[in-house]
Amino acid sequence: MIEILQQIINGMAIGGVYVLIALGLTTVFGILGIAHFAHGSVSMFGGYLTFFLVSAQGLPLAAAIVIALATGFVLGLLIELLAYRPVRNASHINAFIVALGLTMMVEGLNLEFFGHEQVVIPTDFDRVFNLGGVTIPELRLYVILAAALLIAAMTLFVEKTKTGQAIRAVAENRDAAILMGVNVNTIPLVVFAISTMLGVCAGIMVGALFAIAPGIGEGLVIKGFAVLILGGLGSIPGAVIGGLVLGITEALAAGFLSSAYKDVIAFVVMITVLLVRPQGLMGKA
Amino acid sequence: MKLLTMTTALALAGGAALAAEKTLDIGVSDALTGGAAVYGLPQANAVQMAAEEINAAGGITVGDDTYMLNVIAYDDKANPTEASNAVRKLLDRDGVRFILGFCCSGATGAVASFIANEDAVMLVGNAAERSITTREIPNLVRTRPPADYTGAAAGTFVAEKGHKRVAVLGALDVGFYASYVDAFEKELNAAGGEIITREAFGLRDRDMTPQLTKIREQDPDAILVVGYVEPAAFIYRQAVELGIDVPRYGFTSGSEEQFLRVATSEQMEGVWDLRPTELTLLSASENGIAYHANYTEKFGIAPSPSSPYAYDQTYALKDAIEAAGTVEDTAAVAAALRELPVPDEVVMQYLPVDGKMFDVNGQAYTSNGAFQWQSGNWVFVQDLPSDAAAYSAFLSTID
Repeated sequence: MIEILQQIINGMAIGGVYVLIALGLTTVFGILGIAHFAHGSVSMFGGYLTFFLVSAQGLPLAAAIVIALATGFVLGLLIELLAYRPVRNASHINAFIVALGLTMMVEGLNLEFFGHEQVVIPTDFDRVFNLGGVTIPELRLYVILAAALLIAAMTLFVEKTKTGQAIRAVAENRDAAILMGVNVNTIPLVVFAISTMLGVCAGIMVGALFAIAPGIGEGLVIKGFAVLILGGLGSIPGAVIGGLVLGITEALAAGFLSSAYKDVIAFVVMITVLLVRPQGLMGKA
Repeated sequence: MKLLTMTTALALAGGAALAAEKTLDIGVSDALTGGAAVYGLPQANAVQMAAEEINAAGGITVGDDTYMLNVIAYDDKANPTEASNAVRKLLDRDGVRFILGFCCSGATGAVASFIANEDAVMLVGNAAERSITTREIPNLVRTRPPADYTGAAAGTFVAEKGHKRVAVLGALDVGFYASYVDAFEKELNAAGGEIITREAFGLRDRDMTPQLTKIREQDPDAILVVGYVEPAAFIYRQAVELGIDVPRYGFTSGSEEQFLRVATSEQMEGVWDLRPTELTLLSASENGIAYHANYTEKFGIAPSPSSPYAYDQTYALKDAIEAAGTVEDTAAVAAALRELPVPDEVVMQYLPVDGKMFDVNGQAYTSNGAFQWQSGNWVFVQDLPSDAAAYSAFLSTID
């Protein structure tokens, strides 16, 4: 029993990262219908930037995170304004090509600015908590709590604020939203800014828990899209449940079946769910 | 006009004096980027440094000619296809005949499969897959001993420590790591111990808590970690985080700096690395101390423990060329390598077989050592059993 609980805790930390990546992707896809492939590279940029600020500039971690988030906010605005807005009314293939090009561009910039070496964001969170035989490293605990906090904040923002209502309105029916006076030029900006900040958070978590290196963003965005499909396209609760299911399934698969096939097993679970519910766990039929 | 005449005369005189000084291009194929760059980049640096030292000392003397070395290095990313392309570029475009580096077995194996047909000499460094020197390739030599040579010694050492139930966590889909574990297991079994589980991870994996949780439930006496530095460092860190309080043994060859990027010194305390007796400052010879200091000064970072394999290649090549008396006849240079005594300048502690650095298979041997992490450093604790002659005889029996 302890082993199962331990594996669930193990999976929740990486699941939390998947959730944040998927939340960013699902809001962009839900509102704008864009498969934003560059999201993984952008989140790695956030992780690299935090590492640079902490290691090279000697800033405290909290200050580095705030600067990285602010940079993420601006970067999100720029991505929408300069990359996606010009092709907003064009065919979907145009946005698709822009997304691919943007991925290569951000990866290239990461390489240029931060080099090709693996980096780990240093933290002072070295303590380990033991709850009845289940151990929780301090850093993992903070990652899980931070992910939960961000999920709650995102949900409240979308459900309870006027801007959130406007985002949902645009997602439901763009034309009706225009008729209701929603500024549909501002909404994509807000969505990209929030999405990029969530991605930056995920990048920081990956950088502190594991490592950031070229290529990791690609793997992360693939997992993010898998979560999106598993949870249901455009669904925020779906992204949350899908991310946790994927993370915990990976941990259980590696622990109880074979670590060599943990990714395969996680994707088999995803395909099985889709066979039963093609719209995903929380998607609308 | 007078000035022009003088300048011309000086140039002619200088030209006559330097007529016999030539440039010899040597190639490096190694992982300069990607996950294996922790091994490949220090190797490429080591070749560059050795070449500069040789040039500063007057170059390589062949008859009346003196050759200054020029290093052309390509990034093979430890990928077999990239390595094949890099070596083809060195051979076909750059006209290079002597190729060094080769940190990683997959890429090295790919090049080894065709190098016998080329007018070239291949000097392999850190790549530890045994089959590289069992293929009877006359123009290939390797400075690092095969993984199973070290694995057997490690198995004996761990058994002597009294451990009976050992859990293995490793990059077991990589051939030479698997062969290390096989040889380790054979010796452990002979002493009455057993491997209770073999858990695997991919070279890009960084979260090994699921495997470690499984291992923790099986209550081992010790764990053995085999893999690249970075995943291994995560395993050591995550083992502590999961409260696994048993001796941790490894086969990684990482430097202190490389491990400390991932884990704290406290998390590393007590970890053993059972590997060839590679460079660590506390166990180094005079050559090793000088190498460490020069490398650190030149590149601004401490050398990785395995990087001298490539440094030593360069001096072995120099001596072989001088012994063969040619840079054109690669077969003669390859033959001279197999007859070579251990050069004075090498850093590693080689165990000659029949007085020669490389045996009939083109394989060199170092002693094996047990290193332990103590207060932030790898400390050489003791030699491990290393019978180079017996292993060489065994290697000759393998097809």
